[in-house]
Amino acid sequence: MNGRPAETARYFDDFKVGERVESPGITLTESRIVEFAFLYDPQPIHIDVEAARARHYGDVIASGTLTFALATRLFIQSGIFDACYIGGIGVDELRWHRPVRPGDTIRLVAEVVEMRPSASRADRGTLRTAHTVLNQRDETVMTMSVTHVLRRRPGP
Amino acid sequence: MRAPRRLTPADIAGRYFEDFRVGDVFETPGVTVTEAQIVDFGLRYDPNVVHLDAEAAADTPFGGLIASGFQTLALTFRLFFQSGVIGACSIAGQGLDKVRWHRPVRPGDTLRTTAEVVEVRPSASRPDRGTLRMVHRTFNQRGEEVLSLEAAHLVRRRPQAGPDGG
Repeated sequence: MNGRPAETARYFDDFKVGERVESPGITLTESRIVEFAFLYDPQPIHIDVEAARARHYGDVIASGTLTFALATRLFIQSGIFDACYIGGIGVDELRWHRPVRPGDTIRLVAEVVEMRPSASRADRGTLRTAHTVLNQRDETVMTMSVTHVLRRRPGP
Repeated sequence: MRAPRRLTPADIAGRYFEDFRVGDVFETPGVTVTEAQIVDFGLRYDPNVVHLDAEAAADTPFGGLIASGFQTLALTFRLFFQSGVIGACSIAGQGLDKVRWHRPVRPGDTLRTTAEVVEVRPSASRPDRGTLRMVHRTFNQRGEEVLSLEAAHLVRRRPQAGPDGG
């Protein structure tokens, strides 16, 4: 994951507020929805098709935690923080707007909304991104705000 | 002879919206996080070297493999849902706020969680439901907090008894 050539490596200083990253899509299958939920979110609406139908969801729906995890995967896979990522501080204002169903294809749009150099450590800064997860009809299924700690460009 | 009594999940963990009080704290059993689970989750959902590659992770400030923060979060919800606290009444998760990772989780750590009710708000538009805001905290085997977050759970009120008493 850290195999980028040095000339394309990006650091905190290289990002700008307003910059956007769009990910490729991923299709959620019923088996992935049920398998994830069986491990991490074993509620009937995620693992039991009959129970989900009885509750008027029409079918199983993806655990919100799975949508959250896949949004993270799509973002990391974009590689924009490969050279400079130190860690995640936290997530705020996460909202699930619509269910994700088997066969849906989701993708992520992330926008840099805030950048703050560290006051105490000259080698790093805090960057906040607003994430929107969309389905194949461009409906918003999830939004959240993520705060990352990134390295600054090493001095000469 | 007495008729057999059939107990549904709703009877076994039969809490509904009106049964929750601000200040209620629910504790869950624990789960041990193995190295295999950490790498497996990292491969699928969080492919960062600190979750995948023990050798490379040893050279980072973490000093070795650590669990993806999203895995800690997912396990926190697993322990909570498994406890059945909102098993009868859960409709949907509405959102999360103030998700903070306080300490790394390492292979062999055992996590347990607590959930505290911090707000109980009836729905303004639908009388059959309401929102529970809960603070979920996750601790390791030394009692150190590794994760905290606030979740809004949309849950049902207790179904009203019909004319037939059912």
